[in-house]
Amino acid sequence: MNITGPKILFTIPILGGITITQTTLTSFVATLILCVAGVLLGRNLKKRPGRMQVLVEKGVSMFYNLVGDAMGQHNRHWTPFVGALFLSSLLGTLLGMTGFLRSSTSDLSTTATWAVLISLICWYQNIKNIGVKAWLKGFTQPIFVMTPMNIISEFAQPVSLAFRHFGNIAGGSVITALIYWALAGLSSLVIGMICSNGYVVTGVLAVLGVILLIIYQKKRKGVGRIAGIVLLALSAVSILQLLGIFTDVPIFQIGIPAVLSLYFDVFSGVIQAFVFALLSMIYISNACPPPEECLPRKSRKAKTNS
Amino acid sequence: MEGFMALLTNPCFLAAAQTEGFIGIDFWTALFTLLNLIITVLVLKKFLFKPVKKMIDDRQKEIDDIYADAESKRSQADELRENYEQKLADAKEESAALVRSANAAAQEQREQILRSAKDEADAIRQKADADIALEKKKALNEVKDDISGMAVEIAEKVVAREINAADQTALIEDFIRNMGNDQ
Repeated sequence: MNITGPKILFTIPILGGITITQTTLTSFVATLILCVAGVLLGRNLKKRPGRMQVLVEKGVSMFYNLVGDAMGQHNRHWTPFVGALFLSSLLGTLLGMTGFLRSSTSDLSTTATWAVLISLICWYQNIKNIGVKAWLKGFTQPIFVMTPMNIISEFAQPVSLAFRHFGNIAGGSVITALIYWALAGLSSLVIGMICSNGYVVTGVLAVLGVILLIIYQKKRKGVGRIAGIVLLALSAVSILQLLGIFTDVPIFQIGIPAVLSLYFDVFSGVIQAFVFALLSMIYISNACPPPEECLPRKSRKAKTNS
Repeated sequence: MEGFMALLTNPCFLAAAQTEGFIGIDFWTALFTLLNLIITVLVLKKFLFKPVKKMIDDRQKEIDDIYADAESKRSQADELRENYEQKLADAKEESAALVRSANAAAQEQREQILRSAKDEADAIRQKADADIALEKKKALNEVKDDISGMAVEIAEKVVAREINAADQTALIEDFIRNMGNDQ
């Protein structure tokens, strides 16, 4: 069982030691993959698209539509930022499934950086679009006594954003580690019980397994067949332990964690990336009202920018 | 909770390498994450989102243009067709009128020709009639003269005397008139 923060791979001995952690590595890999994929997919665009281009265009327009719906049509120029954020988060999570990289999003450094960046963008956009006075005045709304709570919520926003994403992914990896640990314990418990009764029980299990396999041979998807295979494997592992070749083989770690990983890594990763992107869109769009509500001077500038 | 924390800090569960804290923010990791995000945003924006968006928009515009063009062409063609149909109908009308008037003119001309021919024929016949009458009269007169001369000669020979010529002529004319009446 291994529940720790990211390992420090090495330290560059300048500026007081630049630490390169697993998170940094994953983050670089994710960036590299996204940049290469982006350049490859955005190349050779034709008026009459091929199959790949149709998919790419579908994806890109999906992002644009999502941003247009969530932030308003005047904020569609935020799409590259939101898309890159979403893809970085998703890929950072999914790279943890490769086994030799650690999910970059299960490190608070990553999610907190993104969350703080979004807060800074919000503050900057607020000042730019509605002016410092109007922005500060917004803290006293709807009544003056709400000011402390408004200020707290302003700081709670990045904290909640960062910890939500970090907690979900890191929690998933913790649960996965716990399950591996528990399954190893269960394996040694079951095999120990079988071995304590000597070769008789092992032999009975093996015979039972063979019988089940023969009975359910013809059925295409039989629970019986799987049970037969499990019994045979158990007896085989027990014999190995009785002979003293291997001990405590964590046999239950095969298969079962894959199903859970599907939920904790894939499903949770997609959902959390989407939630993170959606919340950032909502926060940023609150700071970027439609041009007619902005300062007149600024709105003109914003229009020329977009 | 205590058990969990003990689990976290228990050295036998920690990897051999140095690690960051499970919950904590490392400055350099944060900085690299930020830089990576910025790079990702810039690269994806420049190489993926903008070109693809531009391509989609361009294609949309082209399609719109084609549709608008086709629509204008169609309305133009409709207009032309209407124009041509109108012209065709006019031409038909005109030709029908032309044929009608030509027919009328021909009819009139025919009647005129017939009429003039008839008139001419009438005139020729009348003239012929008059000529015939004149010739007849002439012939009669000649015959009258001849006969009267012959009668005088015959009478001279028969009577062998010379009678008053005037009496004689009256006598002969009387005779011829009677003769003519007998005829």
